[in-house]
Amino acid sequence: MKKQQVKLFSMVMVVTLALTLVLAACAAPVAAPAAEEAAATEAAPAEAAAEQPAAAGDFKPVWYAPAPHPYFEDVRKGVEAYVAETGIAVEMQIGPDWTQDSQNQRMEALTANGFNAFSVYPADASGANGLYEELTAAGSHIINFGTSTAQPTTASFAVATDVKVAAMRATEELIKAMGEKGNIINVLEVLEDPNTALRKQGIEEVVAQYPDVTIIQEVAGMTSVETAVQKVGDALSANIDKVDGIIATGYTPSVAIAQVLGEYKSKDGARTIHAVGIDTDEIVMQAIKDGVMDGTIVQNPYGHGYLSLLLLQYLSEGYMPKADVYFVDAGFAYVNQDNLESYSEDILAVTEQIKSELLDKYLEK
Amino acid sequence: MVQSKVDENVRQREHTDSVGNALWSVFRRSDTSVVLATLILFVLFSFSNSSFLTPFNLFNVSRTAALYVFVALGQAMVIVIGGMNLSLGAIGGLTVVVAGWCMDTMGWSPWIGVPVAMLAGTLCGMFNGFIIIKSRLNSFIVTLASLFIFTGLVQGISQGFPYSNIPKEFTMLGRDDLFGVPYLFFFAVIVLIVLGYVFKFRVVGRRILATGGNLEAARLSGIRTDNIVFLSHTLSGVFAATAGLLWVSRMGSAQPSTGTDWLIISFAVAIIGGTALNGGEFSALGILASAIMLTLIKNGLIMLNVNVYFEQTFLGVIVLLAVSVESIRMSLDSRTRRTQTDTP
Repeated sequence: MKKQQVKLFSMVMVVTLALTLVLAACAAPVAAPAAEEAAATEAAPAEAAAEQPAAAGDFKPVWYAPAPHPYFEDVRKGVEAYVAETGIAVEMQIGPDWTQDSQNQRMEALTANGFNAFSVYPADASGANGLYEELTAAGSHIINFGTSTAQPTTASFAVATDVKVAAMRATEELIKAMGEKGNIINVLEVLEDPNTALRKQGIEEVVAQYPDVTIIQEVAGMTSVETAVQKVGDALSANIDKVDGIIATGYTPSVAIAQVLGEYKSKDGARTIHAVGIDTDEIVMQAIKDGVMDGTIVQNPYGHGYLSLLLLQYLSEGYMPKADVYFVDAGFAYVNQDNLESYSEDILAVTEQIKSELLDKYLEK
Repeated sequence: MVQSKVDENVRQREHTDSVGNALWSVFRRSDTSVVLATLILFVLFSFSNSSFLTPFNLFNVSRTAALYVFVALGQAMVIVIGGMNLSLGAIGGLTVVVAGWCMDTMGWSPWIGVPVAMLAGTLCGMFNGFIIIKSRLNSFIVTLASLFIFTGLVQGISQGFPYSNIPKEFTMLGRDDLFGVPYLFFFAVIVLIVLGYVFKFRVVGRRILATGGNLEAARLSGIRTDNIVFLSHTLSGVFAATAGLLWVSRMGSAQPSTGTDWLIISFAVAIIGGTALNGGEFSALGILASAIMLTLIKNGLIMLNVNVYFEQTFLGVIVLLAVSVESIRMSLDSRTRRTQTDTP
């Protein structure tokens, strides 16, 4: 390479790196203020924790999410609340992707670093079990949050939404809005997720109770919002003269339904189509506010974070899970136009209720 | 009298020959098969579901196809020189996030946000091109590395959060229509016409094709192939950025997951559309037909209400059947050529 080219090459590399740094520095994500606040509150308890060996002692907890996602930011708020309340420092990690391989490598490194209690969202429901077996054999405690690993598992608990019950409630609400008759499109998310089968089962069980309600179409395989928008649009087109309701039990299709129905209604779509989704994406909440969607199922991500850490703490203090107790239902709420402003208080109340029951219902010495 | 009859016969034969030649030249084009397959699918789906031909469905299909065109162009620009861009989706995602950051977080107007996002995408393409020509590394390796860089930036900047406050006026291009045809579709057709013209009649287009056809021969004939490689990767970045911005316009929000599933689409549409995998060939018509074909197949599967668990299988089988039209065309073409050669 000529000297001039090397110089030019170096210059571009420097510019690129500078650009990268500027972009990263300029990034002010929606949750940034909360994260900064938490970092500030986290720093102080971390120091306090070092001075409190009795409380924190050998307990070195990690909260681990596989990849950046709005859901994890909500869960993190629960973890941060736990840190603020207990003064115990928690290592919070968000991985780079949804692969089990990345999760294995990073959690093994954390274990090597002395961490011994993990609140984890498993990247792969069955693949994570191999990692868990190794970590629990080394003396660590593991709790799944958000979803469960396949059974049998060495994780002590799963703190999550009972997805089947949530799907059943969403279906009940949709059918009620439809006047207990009509045709439904069932929009499933990712077929590889074992929870999808449970949700599907829940929806079908409820529909079976209403003779005048039929599922006319199922769509699935929504790996991104783009794909979901396309598929929901196609499904709506295919059934535009007969569909009365759409149900989604995943985050991505819920956003897609809000988009597609919003567009349909803005173009003077003549048919009344009811819709119920899940989670609290801004687009979904706006669609409920505008009357485009009827409601959404709100999970308890705050509780997923807070309760999983609290359970880990109890386990480190010598408590054991009660026999045949594994799943901690973190609850959910149905949100529509009536409780759009107040639902977060309902969810906090659910967390407090479960927290007060933990020692009696789930643990023993 | 006899002479005039002979003349008329000759004229008729010449006319038949010229029509035959025209048909023959159309048939020999590599994009004929994909156009044919698309037409066949269109007719099949029209008969199989009455909702297929509704204005709502046709609007949706043509809009998605238009978006696929831009995604495919991002890949075609580098395939045509014998390269590839694995970071295409990540560039699209980064553009989307930068656009969202500008318009939502910073509250800037689209008149500022869109050029900044376009610049980000273009710089990503330039970065790929520059590294490839200076390091002499294969585009696979370089774009694989940049895929991680750009994906990391997408995640780092957005932290997975979508940007929802996109100004309403920016959604006009992605959501509105003229006589029932989405603006996006018009935009895609215009861009394809321009590209078709450039590749066929402009020096730069011919140079790109020559570089893709045989890099060494192109270099020896005086083409500055490094510049062409750099240009192609820059254009790839430009089209990825365009596709990303059009998705923002269509969605009315900037989703950080945008682009994660572009890789397969970009290769499928570009290659089925007649862009030679080893470079040197480009067909604007083929890309349009191929984008429509893939959209039709996905739309048709939902129209036919196929079992969701086997959807991917059906998709694969139909794509295979559709592209086999090309195999039949090639076989007929080579047989006819042989016959012509054998005829004294």
